Amino acid sequence: MKAALFPLAAYLRGAPELAREAVVVHEGPSARIVAASRLARRAGVRPGLTVAQARNIESGLVSRTRDPEREHTAQEVLLEIAGAFSPRVEDGGEGMVYLDLAGISPASAGNGARGRSKTAADTLLPPDAGNDEHSLGQSIMRDMDAAGLPGRVGIAGSKLAARAAAALPRSPNVVALRGEARFLAPLPLKSLFEDGSRDPDPARGDDDQEILHTLKLWGLCTVGDLAGLPAAEVHSRLGERGAALHSAARGFDPEPLTPRPPPLTFRESLTFEWPIDNLEPFLFVARGAVSRLAARLDARGMGCKRLELSLKVEPEGLHELAIELPAPTREARTLLSLIRLHLEAEPPRAPITSMQLLAHPDVPRQAQLSLLGPAALSPDRLAAVTARLLALLGPNRVGSPRTRNGHLPERFRLADYDPPPPPRIRLEPRPGRGMLAVRTLRPPVEVEVLTAESEETARVAPCPAPLQINPLPTEDRHVRIEGAVRTAAGPWEIEEGWWREAPALRDYWDVELRDGAVCRIYRDRTSERWFADGVYD
Amino acid sequence: MTSLPAALTDSQWPRSLVRQIRRGRDLVSGDDPAGIHEVEADVFATRLAGVDRLLDGGIRRGQTIELVGPRSSGRFSLVLELLAGATESGESAALVDLGDHFDPQAAARAGVVLERLLWARPRRLKQALGSAEVLIGGGFPLVVLDLGLPPVPDGRGKESAWLRLRRAADDHQAALLIATPYRAGGTAPQKVLDLGSRTSPVRALWARAAPRSPRLLDGLATRLELAKSRGERPGAAADVELRVLTGSLRRPLPGAPSRQTENRHVAGTPVEVLRRAG
Repeated sequence: MKAALFPLAAYLRGAPELAREAVVVHEGPSARIVAASRLARRAGVRPGLTVAQARNIESGLVSRTRDPEREHTAQEVLLEIAGAFSPRVEDGGEGMVYLDLAGISPASAGNGARGRSKTAADTLLPPDAGNDEHSLGQSIMRDMDAAGLPGRVGIAGSKLAARAAAALPRSPNVVALRGEARFLAPLPLKSLFEDGSRDPDPARGDDDQEILHTLKLWGLCTVGDLAGLPAAEVHSRLGERGAALHSAARGFDPEPLTPRPPPLTFRESLTFEWPIDNLEPFLFVARGAVSRLAARLDARGMGCKRLELSLKVEPEGLHELAIELPAPTREARTLLSLIRLHLEAEPPRAPITSMQLLAHPDVPRQAQLSLLGPAALSPDRLAAVTARLLALLGPNRVGSPRTRNGHLPERFRLADYDPPPPPRIRLEPRPGRGMLAVRTLRPPVEVEVLTAESEETARVAPCPAPLQINPLPTEDRHVRIEGAVRTAAGPWEIEEGWWREAPALRDYWDVELRDGAVCRIYRDRTSERWFADGVYD
Repeated sequence: MTSLPAALTDSQWPRSLVRQIRRGRDLVSGDDPAGIHEVEADVFATRLAGVDRLLDGGIRRGQTIELVGPRSSGRFSLVLELLAGATESGESAALVDLGDHFDPQAAARAGVVLERLLWARPRRLKQALGSAEVLIGGGFPLVVLDLGLPPVPDGRGKESAWLRLRRAADDHQAALLIATPYRAGGTAPQKVLDLGSRTSPVRALWARAAPRSPRLLDGLATRLELAKSRGERPGAAADVELRVLTGSLRRPLPGAPSRQTENRHVAGTPVEVLRRAG
């Protein structure tokens, strides 16, 4: 499969608002055009011209610099599309992807056009031949269109034949089985090279230019001419590279397809036309990239467990963030909220020139639906909920509460919220016990306590009974515990961590204040200060 | 209405299963086309008879109820009872705890299944409202929003925010309980319950284990009144008594040595060793 006008398509994928404009993508110091949109081509703009020349032809031309980051991302998207059709996928670069369809589609049959034809198109199976390759190719093209990377598909027994078939109009084109040599025979010699649309680049410093020149000197014009030469003679004169080209011309792949390992991460990149120094414009631009990332994860049935954001800042700085998600999610809104939260907490110190999002995928949790019992929470939605709460409240502010060993009432532990599956039928709750609960004050509120201190009480009890509670002027908490004590019960001693340097040694009292509030207060024996750490409610 | 087969009324069948079969049968046979005889799956009970009677069985899905009570009125205890009832029956529940007052140890003693409870600890009222909306939208069948002790940070919040919350609960068929120290929800809640009103203030209960032993806090006696209910006359009330349970921080075991007391181990909670000084 081959994406048409790849540099342009890769750019327009991230800038769909330019789809109806005359756009060209250029590269190099002379701003030479490498791809032009249909509107630009209609106006007469062709690849190879400079932007200045093109503007003389079309004054309203929109020109953009070739963006390697976007092209890399677009190439990954193509590979992912191919991966949905075949487990064996090779990266051909520059918008080209090879798929191994062996075992996925049945062997080509009914190739009545095999043999006598002289042109490449005549060796193709007709679209109405009813074979599955055509429908497979059409499916691939549909997915490419949906991803914003329209292109063509060629199906053949060798990579060279498939590539040549993909270059022909009326895609998808299927080359008949064992008809590769006949299909390739009428093609010009330059089709043998990686980019068949133009001659090999002499600047690459490889042998291809020299070999092509030699073949032309021999009077060869087509691939068939080369295929007709004896293999041993070609090898002795043109070396290993020449032998490989000869083998390809005969319809054999000199090298087998090299499968690409499944990707460990999903990447989306953007280079901005001008530096962005404000959060809102950045998020507006990032929204598209995050949505595309979420769509790619969705297509693979994966969720994002960790999101890495890498921002290039002026002049040559890098600002990196790593966002850990409590559970895999592919909800774009949640991911964008998390990016906003982290950037608000850690804003970059200079304008941003480009961004890269890297998503580490993980399999979303699955749940079994219940027929008679309580409905389980959707794992996907639950992951989004916990991520959004995390973004809203910050770390360590949301989770599932857990008990902790110890004696201090304010102790607690938070775990990731991962509820067990609901029972198969709704259970009968036990009758309520009417337990009086305590609102824990975290941290405890320091108060001033006037006590009934006398020689007798001091002798009998180490902690005299409280009579009056006053707030401390230094305490800025909104919760105020104050008033005359109506009834008090205690003291109760709690000791924890005696082996530590600062053990907790507290004398607790239950007190009912004159206004009716029932509180729990304690005196810290170490510091001799009083605190309120709970309100019975 | 046709009677159930004898096999289904047999006591060996779980009652909840029989109820669900009965409901399905009623719907199919046309005896209860509107689903009036709702099963308990649609209701979250507090498990306290008087309170549930006042609420017609409990809080229904899609319903928003405001529970108003000053400090030491038993408001938080009712919240824990509601959470315990829901999580014990296998439902997930969420607590938005603005004051950060939740004590997992006490909640486990009250019967809350902590694994099924999501605990959000916002710092501001705006965060609390946002969290509740996210949780309702996320499919939680029961969401409790507790505004903590008075004064509530950021005041009562905007009326529109409460209305949006109620609409979300209605749309997603979630039961929403707003527990506040004073009326905050405006016109949003369908029912408003008052705890410890001026006419019947809360009483702290103090008791002695023996005539000469010191007094201990035994619990709170409070009164729950229906202050507002759409389609009903307010004024109905229920008396509620809340007790300090054995195993809590304050409560010694009867018959335990007076100088040192080891509290009873309650399932799922660590053993607390308490010593009475003096």
